[in-house]
Amino acid sequence: MLLIKDLHASIDGKAILKGINLEVNPGEVHAIMGPNGSGKSTLASVLAGRANYEVTAGSVTYRDQDLLDMEPEIRAREGVFLAFQYPVEIPGVSNVYLLKAAINSVLKHRGEEELDAMTFLKLIKEKSALVEMKQEFLYRSVNEGFSGGEKKRNEILQMALLEPYLSILDETDSGLDIDALKIVAHGVNTLRSAERSMIVVTHYQRLLDYIVPDYVHVLAGGKIIRSGDKSLALELEAKGYGWIEGQADAA
Amino acid sequence: MIDITEHYTQQYHSLAENLPGNGVEWIKTYRNNRLSRFQEAGFPTTRDEDWRYTTVRPITNKKFTSIGDIQVDRYALISSKVAEHSVMDFDSYQLVFVDGVLMTDFSELTALGDGVQINSIADVLRQRPESIQTYFDIDHAEESNGFTELNRAFSKDGAVIELQAGVCLEKPLELLFLSFGDEALAQSRNLIVAHEGSKATIIERYVSAETGYSLTNNLSEVVLDKKSEIDYYLVQTQSRDAYQVSGIWVTQASDSRFSCRTITLGGILVRNEIKIRMLGEGAHCDMFGLYSLSGKQHVDNHTTVVHGAPNCTSNELYKGVLNQRSRGVFHGRIKVEQDAQKTDAKQSNNTLLLSRDAEIDTKPQLEIYADDVKCSHGATIGQMDEVSLFYLRSRGIDESDARSLLTFAFVNDVLREVGIDSLKESLESILSSQLISDRQTV
Ligand SMILES: Nc1ncnc2c1ncn2[C@@H]1O[C@H](COP(=O)(O)OP(=O)(O)O)[C@@H](O)[C@H]1O
Ligand SMILES: [Mg+2]
Repeated sequence: MLLIKDLHASIDGKAILKGINLEVNPGEVHAIMGPNGSGKSTLASVLAGRANYEVTAGSVTYRDQDLLDMEPEIRAREGVFLAFQYPVEIPGVSNVYLLKAAINSVLKHRGEEELDAMTFLKLIKEKSALVEMKQEFLYRSVNEGFSGGEKKRNEILQMALLEPYLSILDETDSGLDIDALKIVAHGVNTLRSAERSMIVVTHYQRLLDYIVPDYVHVLAGGKIIRSGDKSLALELEAKGYGWIEGQADAA
Repeated sequence: MIDITEHYTQQYHSLAENLPGNGVEWIKTYRNNRLSRFQEAGFPTTRDEDWRYTTVRPITNKKFTSIGDIQVDRYALISSKVAEHSVMDFDSYQLVFVDGVLMTDFSELTALGDGVQINSIADVLRQRPESIQTYFDIDHAEESNGFTELNRAFSKDGAVIELQAGVCLEKPLELLFLSFGDEALAQSRNLIVAHEGSKATIIERYVSAETGYSLTNNLSEVVLDKKSEIDYYLVQTQSRDAYQVSGIWVTQASDSRFSCRTITLGGILVRNEIKIRMLGEGAHCDMFGLYSLSGKQHVDNHTTVVHGAPNCTSNELYKGVLNQRSRGVFHGRIKVEQDAQKTDAKQSNNTLLLSRDAEIDTKPQLEIYADDVKCSHGATIGQMDEVSLFYLRSRGIDESDARSLLTFAFVNDVLREVGIDSLKESLESILSSQLISDRQTV
């Protein structure tokens, strides 16, 4: 699915990612944890194709293609989805318009028929129910005036609609109360399958009780300094990031 | 160098004998006074504070000619151009103007029923000038400039539209101005009188039937009596060789409502002057503006609202999208007179700059002589938001579409004020194809 090799990236000349290696196979869920400022969002953004990051070394292969060579919209159509840590408010563009444009661009790319209005509405109703999103939110401007939790659910709604092969969730849990967290986790788990993979970026172990990962990686100082299974998350929770950073420095 | 003032003065003199109503003393005097004022003032220059950011030299460097009657042998062509430029599925009454001349043969003058009188200004000046004298010879000294004086000196083409008390026009009335690009000086002077409690939607729409230089120097005076309501549109989609100076001068009596949308997508040098005077208590006006420019287009929106009575409200929102080397000017003057207590006036001008070479000059001008007023104004200038762009692209929307979408989102709060669906769709489609072609020709 995804193979990241020795990935280095910088912004405004400042090196942020300093040699990331990661392999994600179909069906796997990888959690990436790490202290603030360690480069988690940078990694997510580089994978989604945000332009202001410069990749200075390394490679990323996605389903046998050079991911870094693709425009962001092509990545999306090929099945890469980033749930933003800070979803963007776009006044004047309705949510439903964005959803429809998004799904149709994916379908068109695959050579499939675009959805007619009826089919689309039926589908969107079903997906909204999954994340317990009221219909009225569809007709509001994208994320405008949404609460933190509503924005995150909107991200999951988009994901559920587009059914990506590779979902990257960037701190989708932050700012959520336990009920909202369960709704988000349910949306994510519904999409889980043998041919889909996920990278779940989180700061807290809590989310991983609901979205159980196959692997956990710790990102610190722009590198993955430790990888393990889900017990690593529990250990981090108990001992804090200082513990593992200390170990890495000593090594 | 040719003296351009002299050029137009000569044209005036060559026509003067035949100008409608010139046999009537007060009309003749009126015209002569206007001409003298034009000769004194000449065309405005950037030394005039009100024209500081707009040079009319491209206009004064050319000689435009006032044309006479339109010959019947052109009717077939005109008719096909009218069809070509009519908005699809737009159910309206239509008045057609060719290079400023009202074409009565192409216009629905009588279809509107008894409550609405539409006549050419020439006919009214010939047959019953006294019926419009009170509106016609108001001096408007404060508002005028060389262009308006020139227009009023000629006062030969245009429509007089009168809505009787209580009449509600169920379909919009469209004034379609076709320019044929033959260096014509199109000057129509229109007068719209809405008597008490009447209601109408009036659209001035400017299109180029053929390319070539043209100058439109129009003036429309709108008089709203008590409790009347006028929805007004000024829509400019001419080709990039059209010059236009448009004046909409409005006076409002108590409890009247005037709402104007000024949408400029075409022309090379366009000045829209909207001047509203609210003279009766409880009047309200809206001014919405949208301009999307590229190439070397220059559009100057010059607005004035005078709060001349208590308890009036005004609301103004102009949005501009500037691409390539285009230039926008926004001047918003709000004057609150001494006894206009409880005035509520809002104004904002927001600009989306899509190119480094584009430029906007925005200037609010607030003159407040009353003490119990609410008056707010604001101007913003921004660029395309890169994070929003990335967000849309990360959802599979290609870059070009995402840029259009964000541009539309920016102008949405003005576009949604276009309450006529077919017109709105037509404007959206023009705007959309312009945005795409502008991106392809950087
Ligand atoms: N535009 C920017 N200019 C300079 N530094 C930046 C910019 N954006 C992020 N950074 C820095 O990059 C580092 C990694 O940030 P980020 O990837 O957001 O971390 P995380 O998501 O792990 O909290 C931080 O030190 C942050 O300050
Ligand atoms: Mg982050």
